[in-house]
Amino acid sequence: MIGYYDPNKDYGTPARLSENHVSLSIDGVEISVPEGTSVLRAAALADINIPKLCASDNLEAFGSCRLCAVQVEGKRGYPAACTTPVEAGMQVTTQNTKLARLRRNVMELYISDHPLDCLTCPANGDCELQDVAGAVGLREVRYGFEGENHLAAEKDNSNPYFSFDPSKCIVCSRCVRACEEVQGTFALTIDGRGFDSKVSPGQMEDFMDSECVSCGACVQACPTATLMEKSVVDQGVPEHSVITTCAYCGVGCSFKAEMKGDQLVRMVPYKGGDANHGHSCVKGRFAFGYATHQDRLTTPMIRDSIDQPWREVGWEEAISFAAERLKATQAKYGRESIGGITSSRCTNEETYLVQKLIRAAFGNNNTDTCARVCHSPTGYGLKTTLGESAGTQTFDSVMKSDAIIVIGANPTDAHPVFASLMRRRLREGASLIVADPRHIDLLDTPHRSDAQHLPLRPGTNVALVNALAHVVVTEGLEDHDFIAKRCDTEAYRAWRDFISEERHSPEAVESVTGVSAAAVRHAARTYAKAPNGAIYYGLGVTEHSQGSTMVMGIANLAMATGNIGREGVGVNPLRGQNNVQGSCDMGSFPHELPGYQHVADATARQRFEELWGVPIDDEPGLRIPNMFDAAIEGSFKALYVQGEDIAQSDPNTQHVEAALTSLDCLIVQDIFLNETAKYAHVLLPGSSFLEKNGTFTNAERRINRVRKVMPPRAGKEDWEITVELSRALGYPMDYRHPSEIMDEIAQLTPTFTGVSYDKLERLGSLQWPCNAEHPEGTPTMHEFDFPIGLGRFAITEYVATEERTNRRFPLLLTTGRILSQYNVGAQTRRTDNQVWHDEDVLEIHPSDAEMRGIADGDWLGITSRSGQTVLRARLSERMQPGVVYTTFHHPASGANVITTDSSDWATNCPEYKVTAVQVEKVSRPSAWQRRFDDFDREQRQFLEAAREPASQGVAP
Amino acid sequence: MQHDQRATLIHMANQIAANLQSSDDAAAGVRTHLEKFWARSMKERLIGCLDDADCDLSPIARQAVEQMAEQRRQAS
Repeated sequence: MIGYYDPNKDYGTPARLSENHVSLSIDGVEISVPEGTSVLRAAALADINIPKLCASDNLEAFGSCRLCAVQVEGKRGYPAACTTPVEAGMQVTTQNTKLARLRRNVMELYISDHPLDCLTCPANGDCELQDVAGAVGLREVRYGFEGENHLAAEKDNSNPYFSFDPSKCIVCSRCVRACEEVQGTFALTIDGRGFDSKVSPGQMEDFMDSECVSCGACVQACPTATLMEKSVVDQGVPEHSVITTCAYCGVGCSFKAEMKGDQLVRMVPYKGGDANHGHSCVKGRFAFGYATHQDRLTTPMIRDSIDQPWREVGWEEAISFAAERLKATQAKYGRESIGGITSSRCTNEETYLVQKLIRAAFGNNNTDTCARVCHSPTGYGLKTTLGESAGTQTFDSVMKSDAIIVIGANPTDAHPVFASLMRRRLREGASLIVADPRHIDLLDTPHRSDAQHLPLRPGTNVALVNALAHVVVTEGLEDHDFIAKRCDTEAYRAWRDFISEERHSPEAVESVTGVSAAAVRHAARTYAKAPNGAIYYGLGVTEHSQGSTMVMGIANLAMATGNIGREGVGVNPLRGQNNVQGSCDMGSFPHELPGYQHVADATARQRFEELWGVPIDDEPGLRIPNMFDAAIEGSFKALYVQGEDIAQSDPNTQHVEAALTSLDCLIVQDIFLNETAKYAHVLLPGSSFLEKNGTFTNAERRINRVRKVMPPRAGKEDWEITVELSRALGYPMDYRHPSEIMDEIAQLTPTFTGVSYDKLERLGSLQWPCNAEHPEGTPTMHEFDFPIGLGRFAITEYVATEERTNRRFPLLLTTGRILSQYNVGAQTRRTDNQVWHDEDVLEIHPSDAEMRGIADGDWLGITSRSGQTVLRARLSERMQPGVVYTTFHHPASGANVITTDSSDWATNCPEYKVTAVQVEKVSRPSAWQRRFDDFDREQRQFLEAAREPASQGVAP
Repeated sequence: MQHDQRATLIHMANQIAANLQSSDDAAAGVRTHLEKFWARSMKERLIGCLDDADCDLSPIARQAVEQMAEQRRQAS
């Protein structure tokens, strides 16, 4: 949508998208540009580079620094090129003696109030002020430096990642505008007037005390060393960079990893990234220190049982030990007694190899991915209704939306860069409807025009979406043309009869959802009547006993209103982790081969069998919860886990712990001794995203390259470890580079046939389907038809969850995420992001707290049917009374000790979002937490004991 | 930790039946779902408990499992 050219160049002002072109002459060079383009940008496009300081092509022109002054024939004075739009026939001069003098005079004034410490300044070599001083030929400062100035202004070092040195500020407002226009937080302002003007976080607060969310947009915008990464202050300016993809959330931002040798100095969001267009959040921008953290595992380790210390061994011995254990287990308990789990934190190539290892070398389909516990209902629901297990749009599509529904998602915390884009659209006037038990920050978007909050009771999503659809159908708001042309008539009629029943009306379900009928009717009309209505949803939709039903309900609503198949509309699952989409695409689920081809499909299976040279089981394997149940029962005895921490992230922790301790062999491949690894017999040290090649696929189906910028700390990229394990099991795989794995994926996956590393190099990224029909990918899905021909409306009967409140458990717990931490926290807990969230707390409504005599900060015992844990209280009115909320970023919090085995009927995705609990004041940790502490201490000692001889140089 | 996998499977099958109850031929829908998404061992286990006195399958779920059992008998 935003048409950049060379992403490494700053064109001064944003691109304009007009189809009308205007021709003009700049310094005698003829150029034609879209109407509305600034003279500054037009000149830059002609490679005529006018000096500038306050302008940047991700910000609207401001016209403050006056350095880009030009002369225009027939016009008086020296207009700023940044604020002057092009006109037909314009004759512009950018360089002459008068302009040179003017610019030198401007720079002279700037420098008269700027420290002259260039040689020791952290921005030395990367300073726009320095560059422009050179460009304009500044040689003297006639005013001297003794006058009133800002050189003694106090530094603000409160933020862990960047410093704010106002003595170096030129008050260009780029940081303020970046915070407003790019990030949408409005945390910065210019305080004072004239000479007293200064950049102010909040109301002259420290950065840490202000509303700043540390996205880094201001740091990137700053043309001086005023806002500077502390890593650059410490290490100096980087000397080379590599473009790669962030390993945090499903937005999949592109970054330049800026390096000194193999040391990562900083991550700078890449303007050429099609998912993020040069924006970032605190995690991707700054929280990369975990990659070099002292806790990294660097040596393979083995042990016979989990009550023994670890023994460091070489790769060969570890792989051989693992393979022998797996073979022995199968010999004793049968072919189906082992399996594997991969993670959405792994690359496509890694997840592909793990499922191949399991199907080909293990000889069964017991493969699953952590997407099981987040977005498996998306796969089921969207495939059933729309024919493809993926979101329908690009992120940029939101800029054409007129009404936006956000259900069970918290984008400002979990998908911050996309949230900034959405907020931009909201500021432009799009309507917002949020269906969520909590009041999320998106509702507080500054300068939004209209927002509706539907604060439904946890567990009543389907009743709500049915009520919305009921309004659409009974008030004549359907798009009959779309339905007639694009949808299966019989399924539509059946659905229409079902949804028209009075029992689905907003009035009938008001007492179930807790949302007023009037609010539901208003929301349905807003969405259905908007020219473009888009739905975005997250785990608040999927992680329910009716997660799949709700996804189908959302697809029904979009089809009924014709909001499918063009920009600005669609059904958009916001994927939690970086490669949720990819891990699902790559055949990690037990019933599907790569590309969502069912294992019972003989034609598809045959193609895999021919290429892989082995028969493939035609029945699905065990899903993660089924593996746990079978392990406890004794029929499932060995598990290979790559990059996933099931002991912390999966529900009913004590059940998971029982399953893990039932295994004869647990092989964990990870970068840290995570909670699962404490139950393992083999530890295979993995590589971080900085240490390997591969691809991630983000929430908009965009395949992005992950590029190796430093060697793997343990010597192997993760895909190489899987290859070695497979070889040791007697099934050799022959790859020299992940590009060859992608070539095999393309060969076997109809939606990937056009994908290759060469094409990714050429085009930057590709959105699948990418094949002969769509050689450069598919930004918008279902434009002309659905993969199943016609869209299928699904009957979405509301079935109340069995997890209900009663006198013993009167409150409903729902769980979620916060901005600074990521998933189980294994990465972000090992960074300075800890300063924002060093413990999980229980948010409780003041009225619920008052009834129990609870004050802010009290220790609370939270008890469910599964277990008990203890967290500190935080009084909050974000939730309605009767609902409490927590996060699961810290293992000792035991958030999942209280979540239950209740799961989605279709996919077994756990119902993290609804747990009936009671809360009371306590004075000490729960029994589980005390056990956890003891076990954790013991396992850490086992690890330290294994490392000691090596660190002392003693031969094992 | 005590865990009754048989009870879990019956509960899961009943849950599927409850969610598909309003579909045309709900039993066929449940059977297709089980065939498509459940592991062989889980299906066999569920079929195996059909004759148990305490097999607490809902009518739709029972019908689906009986259909699945019959289909498997014919296939073998």
